[in-house]
Amino acid sequence: MERNDRIRILLGTRKGTYVVEGDRKRRTWKVGPAAHEGSEVYHVVADPRHPGDLYAAVNNAFWGPQVQRSRNWGKTWQEIATPLTPRRKDRQPLVNDKDPTTPVPRALNNLWHIEPGLPSEPKTLYLGADPHLLFRTTDLGSSWESIESINDHPAKKDWAPGAGGACLHTILLDPRNSRRLYIGLSAVGTFRSEDGGQTWKPTNKGVEAPFLPNKHPETGQCVHDVVADAANPDTFYRQDHGGMYVSHDRMEKWIRIGKPLGDDFGFSVGSPASAPGKAYFVRLDGMARVTGEGHLQVHEWNDKTRKWRKLLSPTAFPGHFGVQREGIATDNLSPAGIYVGTTTGQLFVSPDAGKTWRLVPFQFPGIHSVSVANPTRGGATR
Amino acid sequence: MKTSRSARTSPAPLLEVHLDSWLREFGPRGNEKIGADSVDQLLDVLEERYPRLRFKIRDETGALRRYVRVFVDGEDVSVTTGLTTSLTHARAIDILHSIAGG
Repeated sequence: MERNDRIRILLGTRKGTYVVEGDRKRRTWKVGPAAHEGSEVYHVVADPRHPGDLYAAVNNAFWGPQVQRSRNWGKTWQEIATPLTPRRKDRQPLVNDKDPTTPVPRALNNLWHIEPGLPSEPKTLYLGADPHLLFRTTDLGSSWESIESINDHPAKKDWAPGAGGACLHTILLDPRNSRRLYIGLSAVGTFRSEDGGQTWKPTNKGVEAPFLPNKHPETGQCVHDVVADAANPDTFYRQDHGGMYVSHDRMEKWIRIGKPLGDDFGFSVGSPASAPGKAYFVRLDGMARVTGEGHLQVHEWNDKTRKWRKLLSPTAFPGHFGVQREGIATDNLSPAGIYVGTTTGQLFVSPDAGKTWRLVPFQFPGIHSVSVANPTRGGATR
Repeated sequence: MKTSRSARTSPAPLLEVHLDSWLREFGPRGNEKIGADSVDQLLDVLEERYPRLRFKIRDETGALRRYVRVFVDGEDVSVTTGLTTSLTHARAIDILHSIAGG
């Protein structure tokens, strides 16, 4: 495998894609030229199996969604196949206010998340999209297979969109078992498949849905982001509309951990490879959707001691910052790097597991997503 | 008199098709000559010649994208007769992106 000594932060923003290259100490950062200028880019990710390959979920307001790929760390990009909404005569409409007997065709909206497959499946990628769609390619994006078990799910007519749309935004793979997948859908919740995506089990037990009359339905929770613990693939950290949670049993049940923080609303969570048992959240005011304390604050959850720790002094970065669902990323170095992108275009970096923080001296457009292309083997983590 | 495609005995007259500079990234770099009876048919021909235009102007349900504007001889038909607009007597068509964004 090609050696790669550099660390790169990949940003999807309101106005394009940025690749930010760091030095070995992660102290100085070089911002590359923007790509996909003018397009909303919801996610950019490196493919750790093919160093240099990046994928971007590009959503152009005029020309629609496109999957784009770079084969040279973002220097140039090319449009590859973009999946289309599967059209079937028996498809039930999601919106049908004119004629209840006639299905309404609905186009693919925004692309939300691209997840490279496991090393054992070097040509597999997964793609999550709106309206609540999941696709898989086994030829690195030359063609896409619709995962009908989700895309034609019998309960889909009852699935409502969240504020960001009907997005399927989280795709997690069990590194020990390529048949086990997890997905997260806005205003629907999380699901697990044990058979490669043929069937799905809702996995929202214990997660509160404060916006529904029934506070504990089987589905309907508005999951915002989920990450797996690097050391234990059965453990997950979840930022939900209804708070911060941990699961130790493949999402069979969730335990709320955020209550000591008061308002435990937020959008994103990260868990670095070098810090098993730790997760990093940015708590937001549930109404204003910005940092309610008046400054940037990252909360560290220690799953062994079951305690929280604040990482930033109130005077470090004063202001009201928004952080979206892909807005926190971590690297695989030790000590862990933690990266936080904001809706107002700041990129905050901690190269030492939250001990010190710096602001990358560049004003980006509003940041939708942050991910890391790790050094040495070109890997990617979130 | 408007003529449907099935009743036509002679080829549709060639129209001059103008794309804006953004759309030219996916299609012809200059103006294009196409014969078609309707906007929908014209887009079919255009997309056949330039496959990268597929799904940029119309989505996969066949609908015109929200921020695309089609002008037939200078008249915006995007939200009036739309894709069914007859081109029988038209001479030029402009396909542009609309004023939007922020």
